[in-house]
Amino acid sequence: MSQSHRLPQGGLIDRAKPVSFAFDGKRLDGYAGDTLASALVANGVKLVARSFKYHRPRGILTAGFEEPNALVELRSGARREPNVRATTAELFEGLEARSQNRWPSLAFDLMAVNQLASPAFVAGFYYKTFMWPAALWEKLYEPLIRRAAGLGRAADAADPDSYEKATAYCDVLVIGAGPAGLAAALAAGRSGARVILADDDFLMGGRLNAQRFEIDGNSSSSFASSIVAELRSLPEVTLLPRTTITGVHDGGVYGALERVSDHLATPAPHQPRQRFWRIVAKRAVLATGAIERPIPFGNNDLPGVMLAGAVSAYLNRFGAAPGKRAVVYANNDDAAKTVGDLVAAGCEVAAVIDARGDAPALHEAARACGATLVFGRTVARAYGFQEVSGVEVSGPKGDSFNVPCDLVAVSGGWSPAIQLTNHLNGRPKWDERLAAFLPGVTPPGMIVVGSANGEYGLRDAFVTGARAGAEAADSCGFSGPGFQTPRLLPEPEEAYGDGPWRPTIKRGKAFVDFQNDVTVADVELSAREGFRSVEHLKRYTTLGMATDQGKTSNVIGLALMAEITGKSIPDTGVTMNRPPYTPVAIGALGGAHRHKEFKPTRLPPSHFWAEEQGAVFVETGQWMRAAYFPRTGETDWLQIATREINTVRSKVGVYDASTLGKIDIQGPDAATLLDKVYVNAFASLGVGKARYGLMLREDGMAMDDGTTTRLGENHYYMTTTTANAAGVMRHLEFCKQWLWPELDVHMTSVTDQWAQYAIAGPRSRDVVAALVDDGFDVSNEALPYMGATELTVCGGVKARLFRLSFSGELAYELAVPARYGDAMIRAIVKAGEPFGICPYGAEALAIMRIEKGHAAGPELNGMTTGADLGMGRMMSKKKDFIGRAMAGREGLADSARPVLVGFRPVDRSARLRSGAHFLPKGAGNEAANDEGYMTSTAYSPSNGHWIGLGFLSRGSERMGEIVRAYDPVRAGDIEVEVVSPVFVDPEGARLRA
Amino acid sequence: MPEPLLARSALRAHVAPEIAAPAPGVVLRERTDLTLASVAAFKGREAELADAVRSAYGIELPTTPTRVAAGEVAFVWAGPGKWLATATGPVDFSTLPAAVADQSDGRSVLSVSGERARETLATLIAIDLHPRAFTSGDAALTHAASISVHLWQTDDAPTYEIAVFRSYAATLWRWLVHAGQSRGIDAKL
Repeated sequence: MSQSHRLPQGGLIDRAKPVSFAFDGKRLDGYAGDTLASALVANGVKLVARSFKYHRPRGILTAGFEEPNALVELRSGARREPNVRATTAELFEGLEARSQNRWPSLAFDLMAVNQLASPAFVAGFYYKTFMWPAALWEKLYEPLIRRAAGLGRAADAADPDSYEKATAYCDVLVIGAGPAGLAAALAAGRSGARVILADDDFLMGGRLNAQRFEIDGNSSSSFASSIVAELRSLPEVTLLPRTTITGVHDGGVYGALERVSDHLATPAPHQPRQRFWRIVAKRAVLATGAIERPIPFGNNDLPGVMLAGAVSAYLNRFGAAPGKRAVVYANNDDAAKTVGDLVAAGCEVAAVIDARGDAPALHEAARACGATLVFGRTVARAYGFQEVSGVEVSGPKGDSFNVPCDLVAVSGGWSPAIQLTNHLNGRPKWDERLAAFLPGVTPPGMIVVGSANGEYGLRDAFVTGARAGAEAADSCGFSGPGFQTPRLLPEPEEAYGDGPWRPTIKRGKAFVDFQNDVTVADVELSAREGFRSVEHLKRYTTLGMATDQGKTSNVIGLALMAEITGKSIPDTGVTMNRPPYTPVAIGALGGAHRHKEFKPTRLPPSHFWAEEQGAVFVETGQWMRAAYFPRTGETDWLQIATREINTVRSKVGVYDASTLGKIDIQGPDAATLLDKVYVNAFASLGVGKARYGLMLREDGMAMDDGTTTRLGENHYYMTTTTANAAGVMRHLEFCKQWLWPELDVHMTSVTDQWAQYAIAGPRSRDVVAALVDDGFDVSNEALPYMGATELTVCGGVKARLFRLSFSGELAYELAVPARYGDAMIRAIVKAGEPFGICPYGAEALAIMRIEKGHAAGPELNGMTTGADLGMGRMMSKKKDFIGRAMAGREGLADSARPVLVGFRPVDRSARLRSGAHFLPKGAGNEAANDEGYMTSTAYSPSNGHWIGLGFLSRGSERMGEIVRAYDPVRAGDIEVEVVSPVFVDPEGARLRA
Repeated sequence: MPEPLLARSALRAHVAPEIAAPAPGVVLRERTDLTLASVAAFKGREAELADAVRSAYGIELPTTPTRVAAGEVAFVWAGPGKWLATATGPVDFSTLPAAVADQSDGRSVLSVSGERARETLATLIAIDLHPRAFTSGDAALTHAASISVHLWQTDDAPTYEIAVFRSYAATLWRWLVHAGQSRGIDAKL
């Protein structure tokens, strides 16, 4: 029968909008405004899940985000999501939910045999049971345990939805939209302050919707909606329903997860599924309410055992009856409301059991409805097959009787939801009277109000909320009329309750942590085995470590341990909490930036042209660089790079060097700064000249290299390696701002300003000459090697021309403003056609630099000094520079240090590999004989065999010697000859041609 | 004689998609008409620079994160003693008594405007752009989801202009378009 447990009227559901959904394949109906849990309740579905470890039948315990039992798989296919709390999942048309952790079906779960073996599955069983043989742990035991335990299944396919991150600022952040939060938000909002009100629920109002109060003569839910309507009308108030504040961070920063589209079958076009907010608030009002606690008794996890507040919520807000004949078992007066709600809904209250015997309002409620009132006795156990069919009530002398029922409404008192106050390490304090932790040290700028602060009364909530909201706004410079507490009927407000924590009669498993299947007996075992501190208790039993983070269980576990060990609760410990407050999908933390958009992609000026050429690209940091330019019929990258190199060395090639870092340095002290950061001199460099420079770190190790050109007396143009551009800029700024603030010099990144093309090869001068405007002389005499000049090209475009070479050939670098970069590369190729030009990519460049023995990333690896790189003589003795003192340390000045040399295989057909270590011929393969390592290797088209660069102890004195390149990882052990690192044109004649 | 070189934007449709929206909440365009230069005062010559800027352009150099404009020219604060000079059309800033570097090609400038511009930018930029905190004439050096940006507000539409290193322009455009799609973006090259 459809919606068998739906009340004939009432609730905040929209009965005009039926919604159909499926649970375990069975089609059911609910209404708009239902949660999945309330719709299941309305349909009389009690069994909704199997427990984590014992596969015990479980139902719905709560009506909120603290739910430990009713976890389901929602949706299907790529959107399948495990462990969704049915109590917060909003119902939508076509929703599909499945129970999880059962096989083959929910009602008949073979895994429930785990219960028979339960003596083996007690707390810490995995530490004891599967000890031997150790080798079986990873292969057998752990996979088996994980299959039997675990919860839902993640989707197999990639997440089809998108996520967004956003930042919001406000004066006052109000966390929670119950009575205290609404009062705070309105008091702050009416002042004109910027207010954000965030609430986990899709319907704001908190318990005003879940309970029945009369406020100003109206229902509490209509009062809530009128406040929400006013808040909505205030221009500086932002309402964030379906939003959980997940963390409190330094500087008034709060993390928040907004479930933008989770209430829809699929997100609307272009809408994110979830949005993760970074909220920066000057002040915060924490109004998160309180979480009801269960009471441990035998089989207290049977479906049909529900927290009393949740029973009220299902009756009042959703018009759904969790049972027809109820037993109310409570230790406080707040449960009197549930008794009244049950009666008002037409449910029978079979018995009211006062666990402590001291709750007058509860007694009165029982009498008013004619229910059997029991005090001085406790519930020993619930009984029933897969759902509750009654409770056994026991007296102190062991006598007992049964009360048949289909619902047990339990209230063990309330725990203020103070988790967020812990996030900056504020420890809570135990309140003896309320038997609860209250906020201790709160995060800066945060005020805690209402039930979250142990002020459980409705009037208190309004009063403290309004006061905090007004105060928070006031401290931000805003004042307004505030919020006046409305007319309320008096209510009993003894919501606190203390125990009983430990059942006196042991009948069946009494659960503390439902989600992780931790029982009272497990806590006792933990105490017996010496794991008595709260930290040990948690780790030994896994209490509080499930996705619910022990919201309903932590205090009970702690109180149990206190009782067992005879200590007070504060002496036993406190439970602290870390972000996130509720689980957050990794996708939401990633936001929009994933896959190719995970990081920015930088495109050099020739990119679009290179795409047209069919270039294959390689990512270098954030840059996309052309790796090589395949031509028809070419398939292998080495074949292509070889052709490109041969063209450069015999004719001419062009390469986009724009990705190199370029720094414009100006000022009267520019030369002074350069002399301090480079090992070699730059003050002596003539205008119109370029020089290679090496920078060291403070510790004497090489940091970066590049060429710097003097464009004017006080004007230099520095280039850095592509990868280190930002680091070098940062280093220069550090030197200027901190080390030598007296220097008058300015650095500006001009990396993106200039498109810079290397034109290399014996015919490069012909190409350059064809491009420069009339009147500019690019002859060897006018522009010798390492010369630089400013001129115009292609009819008046300003340009800089440098006579620099990385390839080792006669070469130029031509720089034009980046907007002309695309046209320039096309013009270069066109001008070069008569001379046989080809574009070359990063692969060809990398091989040519090895052929020329130029150090690059593998050599500038943070472990090499200038001397190691063969640049010892470059290090000026006439001036001080960064790294000079430390480079003189004994270990770094040791003449036996490995230095950069070249290698070629004795067997010229052999392949060399980077990472191989050098051993003397005939020496054992031991670290003690290690003489250095290979850093860069390549097949050299110019030599016709493999070549390598590496660091070899005293390498420069050992030319011609044969050593072994030993590479145990790849089973390599070949003889190599020590040679000069310059494999092409060692005299440099081509450079200067 | 080679052909004259054609100036091109860093954006092309295949890396910086165009989107038309009938009643756009946010409008994205590139400003291709700007001359830009970084200007930094030399020590002891700050007043000389301020005088030069005042007499040449009628602008008081800002000393806080703001943008001061007069006619075609504006100076945007870029740090202590540093500015980004902007001009509609060609203006030669290199004659100023300061360290001047042409950035007309080093930066691309994107204009983001419309009633949902602020909301769109909030998905990328972590500073407060609420009118009480940031208004017409204000400027900031910050980042858009890891991309360094220099941003300023030019009117109360609101319109923001974002100067970004040219090689990042296409990525920033894509990220703005992505964020703007749920807010009705009109993006045209």
